[in-house]
Amino acid sequence: MFLQQVLNGLTTGSVYALIALGYTMIYGILGLINFAQGEIYMAGAFVTVLLLEIYQLNFFVAFLLGMGGAALLGVVLERVAFRPLRGAHPLVPLISAIGASIFLQSLALLLFGPADRSFPVQFDFATIDLGGVPVSSLQGAILGSALLFMAALVLFVKYTKFGKAIVATSLDPDTARLMGINVDRMISLTFLIGSALSGAAGIMMAIYYNATYPRMGLLPGLKAFSAAVLGGVGNIPGAIVGGLVLGVAENLGAAYFSSGYKDGVAFAILILVLLVRPKGLLGGKSH
Amino acid sequence: MGDYLCHIAIMGGLYLILAVSLNLIIGYTGQVSLGHAAFYGLGAYTSALTAIHWHFPFPAAAGAAIIVAALFGVGLGIPTLRLKDDYLAIVTLGFGVIIDLILLNLEITGGPDGLIHIPAPRLFGLNYRDKEVYLVLTFLCVAFTLALIHRLVSSRYGRALKAIRDHELTAQVMGINTAAYKIIIFTLAAGLAGLAGSLYAHYITFINPESFGLHTSILVLTMVVLGGMGSLLGSVIGAFVLTVLPEMLRTVADYQDLAYGGLLIVMLIWRPQGLFGAGKLSRKFTLRGTKDK
Repeated sequence: MFLQQVLNGLTTGSVYALIALGYTMIYGILGLINFAQGEIYMAGAFVTVLLLEIYQLNFFVAFLLGMGGAALLGVVLERVAFRPLRGAHPLVPLISAIGASIFLQSLALLLFGPADRSFPVQFDFATIDLGGVPVSSLQGAILGSALLFMAALVLFVKYTKFGKAIVATSLDPDTARLMGINVDRMISLTFLIGSALSGAAGIMMAIYYNATYPRMGLLPGLKAFSAAVLGGVGNIPGAIVGGLVLGVAENLGAAYFSSGYKDGVAFAILILVLLVRPKGLLGGKSH
Repeated sequence: MGDYLCHIAIMGGLYLILAVSLNLIIGYTGQVSLGHAAFYGLGAYTSALTAIHWHFPFPAAAGAAIIVAALFGVGLGIPTLRLKDDYLAIVTLGFGVIIDLILLNLEITGGPDGLIHIPAPRLFGLNYRDKEVYLVLTFLCVAFTLALIHRLVSSRYGRALKAIRDHELTAQVMGINTAAYKIIIFTLAAGLAGLAGSLYAHYITFINPESFGLHTSILVLTMVVLGGMGSLLGSVIGAFVLTVLPEMLRTVADYQDLAYGGLLIVMLIWRPQGLFGAGKLSRKFTLRGTKDK
């Protein structure tokens, strides 16, 4: 029972971690919380589900296109809602992001209707017995691919030229510009990567819960933000740890405390972290 | 006045109290709150419960609503003192979600069904089921709120608030106790939202958590941004416009939220000072180079 809950927690937690990476990277580079991250997550899921439903594409192609759609939305969002406001009082882009979130959510509601859509492709997932704990291979697949994405991101940031340029820009945009880095392009790239990861997270959750709907991004988005704060905002390994810890805490809270308050666990943790250790578990940018 | 017009005017008055009190936090003190509807809800539930279970008369129930909401305001204000901007936004939003969950899960609040049969106020022997009478009561509360906030922001305390908004560190150096001011403003705004909640509960007579969620917080925020952050008149107009417009545009009700979201972005890009923000005040919200902490 306990191990089962931990495993469920790790599965949802790995998805939170993917979204949290987007938050953390964007915060690192712009000092902005992209409130619309949850809607990008929702967009990724919708693109994939619709492609599978209408064009019966191959699952992996649809998955990639879903990530691509989310990435594109992220880049467009940055251009439209954030770039014109750069340098303004921090409240201004924050409110703009909230506006974008509401806008995208209600747009999806108008386009796709409020009903849940089930995932068009059925997978045959077996249940494996792992030392007395029944593990669905779906959970394994989600956890595995999430970890794969995270590893890819860490390697990208550490070892490629673009990755290093992103880090340089988030450390000091002015100096980065002097070094010949195109700061605007790096910001777009950050939105592209962060949004693609959120899109992937959305698709995985659409499979896991077998439900895609316009408001699906609201709570995962907010929880992922809590995860980013928990790990230390701006800190990439921190976002991963934060996401996993939060997922587990939430599931244990629901199992042993009260399932009615499951969605509150993340925020209780968030408030505690900000009070006790504002820089997060692994340390992040100060605020 | 027709019942329908009265209804719109009453709801407009309630939103006006909410918008003006949120503006006190956002526009005058430069802090942010995305959980304003939670205080509105706390006020509504407190007022309803005291009236139903203990037969509190309206002034006592409204007083209890204000006190409970204000206490929660202190409770939220003190721990979040060190936070600003994004972090404050997300914590207040989280607070809103938690209050929402509590209202949904407690037995005494009636869960998702909420509370019904909330008695109408009994005051001066008037029949408050009559919408015109209730409008007068609402109007009195609105006038009280506006007078209070107008007095506050045009006093030296108001100038201290604006100093905190424009540059907190400088304000501190000038001898302003920024922590005390921030807590007082959070408390005052929460209390006023509680008053609005109380008025709402006794007017509608049935309440459930749906009316006090994130959606309402964002709606009030939109009113503040539309009218102009830091403009009292702006919030009045913002609340009025966003109460009346949806009523007039019933046929396109589906597009309401879409419009709110779009409106927020468009306003911030093209007219960040809002419809009625004074030029001088609003420059702080657009000026480049305010990034230094």
